[in-house]
Amino acid sequence: MTRYTVAGTKSSPEIDFDPQSGTLRIQGESYPENCSRFYGPMFDWLQEYFGRSNGQRVRLDMEIVYFNSSTSKTFMDLFDLLDDHAGQGKEIEVNWRYHEDNETAQECGEEFLEDVRNLRFNLVEIRD
Amino acid sequence: MQRTLLREYEAMQRENLILSFDGPVSQGVVEELGGLMREKIRAEAAEGRLAHRVFAILVEQMQNIARYSVERVRLEGGPDRKDCLEMARGRVVVGREPDGRYFVACGNCIASVDGERIARRLSEVQSMSREELKDHYKRMRRLGPDPDSKGAGLGFIEMARKATGPMDFSVEPVDPRTSFFSMKVIA
Repeated sequence: MTRYTVAGTKSSPEIDFDPQSGTLRIQGESYPENCSRFYGPMFDWLQEYFGRSNGQRVRLDMEIVYFNSSTSKTFMDLFDLLDDHAGQGKEIEVNWRYHEDNETAQECGEEFLEDVRNLRFNLVEIRD
Repeated sequence: MQRTLLREYEAMQRENLILSFDGPVSQGVVEELGGLMREKIRAEAAEGRLAHRVFAILVEQMQNIARYSVERVRLEGGPDRKDCLEMARGRVVVGREPDGRYFVACGNCIASVDGERIARRLSEVQSMSREELKDHYKRMRRLGPDPDSKGAGLGFIEMARKATGPMDFSVEPVDPRTSFFSMKVIA
């Protein structure tokens, strides 16, 4: 399975998923024109990854400066998907990274944390 | 024409407006105007979160225009790429209240039939407390949008959560099929 990478833009994050190590990274800002069109291929990729026998562990590092309300829904869908797989015994960890000055990102992470059950969701503060 | 522009310029000064835009709202416009306001307020304001709130409200309002304005500007291009070349027209304004707080306002034409639904959803959100808004937001985020929504259906709730005062809105009939929707949010 090939690595999935998308270059970041002003309004869409950089995405880098490495199937070998099970490491996923989403970083940047997220308010694309059409959220489902932007994230659709990422979900397809994930479905395929989990369909494979070696798709047992995932570490997702997310560092999002700002995301709009459509993205919020998409991220919830992403965490729900990961949460389901974690519930089936897969080892899944999400690191929600935010800069110490970005209280909004911290609060958003806390609200996602409240809404997941099975996966390990860590709030990680980044200091200068 | 020059007279009109001067009068508009003077009115902007008088009303303490920082930004006034009327035209086609493309994704590029959302990025540039949003980025510009965020940088400006970040440089001026003591409170770090203010720039974030103004930016977030502005992005939600401009993306609403892009999705819902019925005034579409068709650009030259092949018919097979029409969804990429159609832009929605609308108006956005950023300014300061007499007490110094920033506000973000928008206006665009909508289909009259949608007016009632929009007004109902906004009134519902207007009456909620912070805690109720948070629960409503999380519930809607799980539930998904209603069939008439082109986004996640969370934009109004998001803006209400970012607002520091009551949100103001109006729906005025323009002709039998069209109404003008406007809203103002204090960040």
